[in-house]
Amino acid sequence: MQANHELPLRQRLQHWIEHLTHILPAQAPIRDFVHHNTLHGFQHLPFAQALAAAQRLTGAQAYWPEDRFLAEYSAGRITRADLCGALEDVGLAELESEIVPGLTRRDLLLATLLAGSPVSHQAQPGYLKSERTTPLEQLFPRCSQLTAETSIAPTDWRELAAERWQMLCDEVGVSCTLRRLLEHLSGEDVLETVRSILQRHLAAHLDLGFAAWRNPACSNGFFAAWKASASFDLAWELDELPGVRDEIHDLPDDPVLVLETELRSLLPDEALWPGYLERLALELPGWSGMFLWRDRHPDFASAAAGSAHSANSVAPAPVDMVDYLAVRIFLERHLCAELIRRLTGAPLAFTDLQAYYQGQPAEFLVRYALHSANLPEDLQAAAAGLCAASADGREVSGWAALAPSLAAHLLADQATARAWQLARLAEQLAWGEAELLALDAAGAGRLLAEVDAIAPLRSQVWLAAYEAHYREQLFGALTANARHIHRWPQPSAQVVMCMDDREEGTRRHLEEVAPDIQTFGAAGFFGVAMYWQGVDDAARSALCPVVVTPEHAVREMPRPGNEAAQAAHTRRRETRLRWRERLYQGTRRQALAGPLLTAVAGAPALLTLAAASLAPAWLADTGRRWRQQFDGRVRTEVAVSAAVAGEAVADAVQKGFSDAEQLARVEGFLRTIGLTEDFAPLVLILGHGSGSRNNPHLSAYDCGACSGRHGGPNARVFAAMANRRAVREQLIGRGIVIPDSCYFVAAEHHTGDDSVEWYDLDQVPDAWQEKLDTLLAQLADACRLHAVERCRRLASAPPRPTPWQAKQHVAGRVADLAQARPELGHATNAAAFIGRRSMSRGLFLDRRVFLISYDPASDPDGGIVERILLAAGPVGAGIALEYYFSTVDNERFGCGSKVTHNLTGLFGVMEGADSDLRTGLPWQMVEIHEPMRLLVVVEQTPAQLTQILGRQPELQELVGNGWINLAAQDPSTAALSRYCPRRGWLPWSGEAVLPQVAKSIDWFAGESGPLAPALLRGALA
Amino acid sequence: MIELLRDLADLVWLVPALPLLAAVLVGCRQLLGGASGDAAERLTAGLSELAALAALLLLVLIDLSVIWHGWPGHRVIGTWFAAANWHGNLSFLLDALALSVATLSALIGWLVVRFSATYLHREAGFHRYFMVLCLFLAGIQCVLLAGNGLLLFVGWEMCGIASFLLIGYAWQRPLATGNALFAFITNRTGDAGLLFSLGLAAYWVGSFEWPVLLAVPLPLVDLRVLVLGFAVAALVKSAQLPFTPWILRALEGPTPSSAIFYGSVMVHAGVFLLLRLEPMLAQLPDVLAGLLLVGLLTSAYAWLCGLVQTDVKSGLMFATVFQVGLMFVAIGLGWTTLATVHLCLHMAWRAWQFLLAPSWLVLTRDRPAPPPAWLRRNQWLYTAALQRFWLDKLGVTLLAGPTEAIARDVRALEENFIDRAIGEPGRGRPILPERPLVCVDGWPGRLLASASEMLQRVENRLLLRGRGGVAERLLRDAGRWLRTLEELLEQPRYLMMAVMVTFVVIL
Repeated sequence: MQANHELPLRQRLQHWIEHLTHILPAQAPIRDFVHHNTLHGFQHLPFAQALAAAQRLTGAQAYWPEDRFLAEYSAGRITRADLCGALEDVGLAELESEIVPGLTRRDLLLATLLAGSPVSHQAQPGYLKSERTTPLEQLFPRCSQLTAETSIAPTDWRELAAERWQMLCDEVGVSCTLRRLLEHLSGEDVLETVRSILQRHLAAHLDLGFAAWRNPACSNGFFAAWKASASFDLAWELDELPGVRDEIHDLPDDPVLVLETELRSLLPDEALWPGYLERLALELPGWSGMFLWRDRHPDFASAAAGSAHSANSVAPAPVDMVDYLAVRIFLERHLCAELIRRLTGAPLAFTDLQAYYQGQPAEFLVRYALHSANLPEDLQAAAAGLCAASADGREVSGWAALAPSLAAHLLADQATARAWQLARLAEQLAWGEAELLALDAAGAGRLLAEVDAIAPLRSQVWLAAYEAHYREQLFGALTANARHIHRWPQPSAQVVMCMDDREEGTRRHLEEVAPDIQTFGAAGFFGVAMYWQGVDDAARSALCPVVVTPEHAVREMPRPGNEAAQAAHTRRRETRLRWRERLYQGTRRQALAGPLLTAVAGAPALLTLAAASLAPAWLADTGRRWRQQFDGRVRTEVAVSAAVAGEAVADAVQKGFSDAEQLARVEGFLRTIGLTEDFAPLVLILGHGSGSRNNPHLSAYDCGACSGRHGGPNARVFAAMANRRAVREQLIGRGIVIPDSCYFVAAEHHTGDDSVEWYDLDQVPDAWQEKLDTLLAQLADACRLHAVERCRRLASAPPRPTPWQAKQHVAGRVADLAQARPELGHATNAAAFIGRRSMSRGLFLDRRVFLISYDPASDPDGGIVERILLAAGPVGAGIALEYYFSTVDNERFGCGSKVTHNLTGLFGVMEGADSDLRTGLPWQMVEIHEPMRLLVVVEQTPAQLTQILGRQPELQELVGNGWINLAAQDPSTAALSRYCPRRGWLPWSGEAVLPQVAKSIDWFAGESGPLAPALLRGALA
Repeated sequence: MIELLRDLADLVWLVPALPLLAAVLVGCRQLLGGASGDAAERLTAGLSELAALAALLLLVLIDLSVIWHGWPGHRVIGTWFAAANWHGNLSFLLDALALSVATLSALIGWLVVRFSATYLHREAGFHRYFMVLCLFLAGIQCVLLAGNGLLLFVGWEMCGIASFLLIGYAWQRPLATGNALFAFITNRTGDAGLLFSLGLAAYWVGSFEWPVLLAVPLPLVDLRVLVLGFAVAALVKSAQLPFTPWILRALEGPTPSSAIFYGSVMVHAGVFLLLRLEPMLAQLPDVLAGLLLVGLLTSAYAWLCGLVQTDVKSGLMFATVFQVGLMFVAIGLGWTTLATVHLCLHMAWRAWQFLLAPSWLVLTRDRPAPPPAWLRRNQWLYTAALQRFWLDKLGVTLLAGPTEAIARDVRALEENFIDRAIGEPGRGRPILPERPLVCVDGWPGRLLASASEMLQRVENRLLLRGRGGVAERLLRDAGRWLRTLEELLEQPRYLMMAVMVTFVVIL
């Protein structure tokens, strides 16, 4: 936020706003939900520093609470050894040195970690008074004696008050706003009022198509719209803010001028402005973030309006962040001034307020202690009484009488906390009174100093230990698996799936069902970045990672001869959808048609609701059949080839791919996954997507490599390209021979109900029919087994279901209107393997690992793995980190529980009808997630990877800053080493003993918790 | 079989009783700490669903019995309390209106319970939610099936409390609890109206039973006053002007609770009450005209505000209020059958639409058609609609403001006089300088202290004041006397004398 002071404010503002893009949530409107690193704006910093910065800035917890880690410790999922390793990983030095005689630094640090977080000591007084005498309490007197000797003597209450007040005032503009300061004084949060005033205007301005009536002035921008509306608003008078309405009416039209005037009267010191605006924006992170997102994506609204179906769309409202900030600061100043008036009797400016409470230390201390400290009941009542009396406007004289006892309490609170800390430490070290007696005050001081020194690193150590435990398991599994000699039969089919962690399960089960099927994994857009428009889609959508802008557009077209059927289909479908639209919108807002439609639809709606409750899967299936019957089916194909090379639709996007482009994509993709020879008769490209009912976060379950959409079309396009004779002939020249006996088919896997939708099956030549039937059956079997595995983590699923029961359960689940957890998405994802399938085939990995196919043998210079890392690294890291942050602080980084969510303006969700916009993942999605950074294991030599890291600043940022953990498995020796940004490559030597079972189901049957890796003997045949 | 159905109507009390029992059981389970973990959810949800389903089936069977045996009509199940010549009865009025609306409500209730069991899985408030939902199901059936005003009032209150508790479902959010309180207080206005009318009914008519009450020949002036109380209650519960704001603040709870309370069932309770009072209303064209006017105004208000809403729940809520307003219009015009049919169909549709609120993104694809141009450009009306005509704020200023001021004064009174008089913890001061450990504050404290002081003094003076105290001297004297007596009695001559005296007495 540093900007040149010489520049005019307007330009400086642009700098500041640019900076805001790094710290505000960057979530797109919810329809386009794509996983991304929640702290993307901090990615230039090392992980730990970034988290600390975010924590300071937003107040969110960037790590799991310590008691969760402690729970994992007692469950054996973090061990003492892991913690010792983590201490070194974090970079703590001199672990062997003795702090007090007989106690090394390592033991002390371990003890303080296991003693629990210092924050949880809040409950101590109650605990102390409890009737049971614990060993801890016996230690406590001696501990308080020791800490009393070390602590600094309490000061005079006047000094204390002056010190605290100065501290608070210094924070304004640096780490808090005036509102926050006033909250300390009055206990009243102006933000509540600001939010309810602002929220309606904001939602109305950003609305993407819910409201019928928009602000008449909205096309002039948010500030103009707000001004036009607010100057008519009678609420100001009712809120006892007379005069504000006239003031708004007389405001200049330029928001920058308003911003400057208001800022100047709030804070005369210009140096504090950027910090203050940053704080202000962060107080309503959801709304600010959405506003800024729209500001930065000006084309979005017009694109959204362009895709609408009729002429109802009006000109999109321009969104400018300056408008928002101007209104925000106007409200902040006026509401704060009003609160100050109620507090002090006059609407003082900030500087006067500072002076006022410097002159009234007693009053300040009472107010401060009441709203910021944990007071005993009598002091609380006394302080509250004084504040209430002063709020009533009565003359209050008791401040000075109360202040000394409050000050004493504030100081005593600190001292007890210290003593308690020492006692917990002593307990953890198994010290008795004898050891404590041997300890002198200086020793105790040294102990506590060590504890204080590690305080900022505590969570970091815990996380490192937690990750280390899983890493050890995984490395052991990889090593054990490498020791087995694999001999698989000649493949009857090859299946290419998405790298998605959920497909790990599908692949494993498919290999168990049919050992002669070879599977591959790759980013789910299969190297075909494109705009796609299906026959029923009104507009095209980009199917590729968000960072890529496609240059080609592919349309689904009716097959030749089907044009008439297509026209009829479109007409009938359009009629159906128009009636649906009429029904839902009409009953909502039409005066005459509304009641009539309600009367017509009432009874059927209730019947449907009953059916949806009793037999959701049946209803969904029947509904789908009826819709299909009504609309009529059309046979389609994809128009992959450009009719004329270079023929462009609007905005330089080419229709279809030219032959050369097709060649490049097919060749590039096959080389990436290492499939350049030994083609099986059938190659299945299997995209994936999900579907669920009644779920605003729908697209968070879809394919992350396809911008949160279904990956089926990409698979279909790729298969169509690879089957073209022209492409295959040219591929021969490039050294890839796809024999004529090989045919590519495409399908889409529904990760919710584990069904598979096949494309263009009727076009498969007869010669492959038999093999295709076999593959169909095998894949269906594998999907059912996969459903069984998924059921183990779903509480409402039948215990130990048969494959058919499991399939039925997941089908019902996805169709259930009431289901807040249609599937578990990427929850528990933890690692990614980039290498041949032989690396992981035969391992049970509990659907926690992204599997990306790559053949190091055909990549001597590392060019391919470099591309894979560049494409898959950010996607995987985005998913893993979004899950990480939404889990560790679901209230701040996530969006809380789904049950009170309320869809707003078609772009986000609120809690109830008046709250901040909630971003991130809902609690139901991350409930069972185990927050850790993604561990990427690449089958390549460390030397090669070091070179790649050196070449690619983007990877340098992800890996070097520790946003993902990198490890290498040597392709020839299978030796593992992991990369530490501080210490370089560390070779791994650990135990590699793994339980062995015949099939996956033997390992997971009856288990509902997390499972360690296991070797599958059946797959080793 | 068909004969058995005849007596089924006497079991109608089970319809509200079963959900109430479920609520009590779930509540007890929670109190006793038996409700935690995934496994506990099954029993809670199962109990609630069973109660809801049983209530539904019972109602369906009673409906069936109507085919053969006609409407059961007014049934007195028992006497709740009685004094002199008037009775508080447990009675039900099972006519076409009650049975149709009650059956439909029971069906929606059952579906919502089923929906919630899945939707709220692993929520912290799972058991609390089901307890309150069952309480509501019991309450609304009391309202719908009640054969007298008293039972209706009981149900009315149960609904009100359940609504309050579910708006505050997310009690960690101050906004949610604040809104719960707002809704609760507004609803007290309606309750006051209801109580007022019931009081008048007891005084003028001497009975709460609907058949008596609806047929009583009262002077029109009295009748008008009687009906007005009921009408106010109906207006509040159905969120008609000027009471509309409470229902828009009530959307803080989980989606299924919003659906059944404000979208579907409870919001229609006011309409139902007026339909129940139809015979009375028919005699009062001016009251009907008033209802017509309120209904029209509410509809216009809700329609205008509905145009500018941007979130799904508020948008649907205004749509609901709009059509409920139309029902008041229908009642005002005397078209009660139309209002009844509209009520039933509207209930069904809104249940579906509210439960599907999270789906709005996929259900619609287009911005709804804008209002006509003259309206679209009116900046003042837009502002007014966006701010909901400031009713909310006005309510706070006119009602909550003065109430708070009174509360403040009461608090000041309490702090300055009552608390002082009663005494507060930690405030005690020693009353006697020589006894610094005895600290007291307030009148009871002083009383206790002086009582103990008195007793202490007695003790000190009589017993404990060292050697030479009065008590000691007296006791010592008494001891000496007794000892002398004993010594005398132990001598043989006196012993013999005593034996002889005894014989003389016996003979």
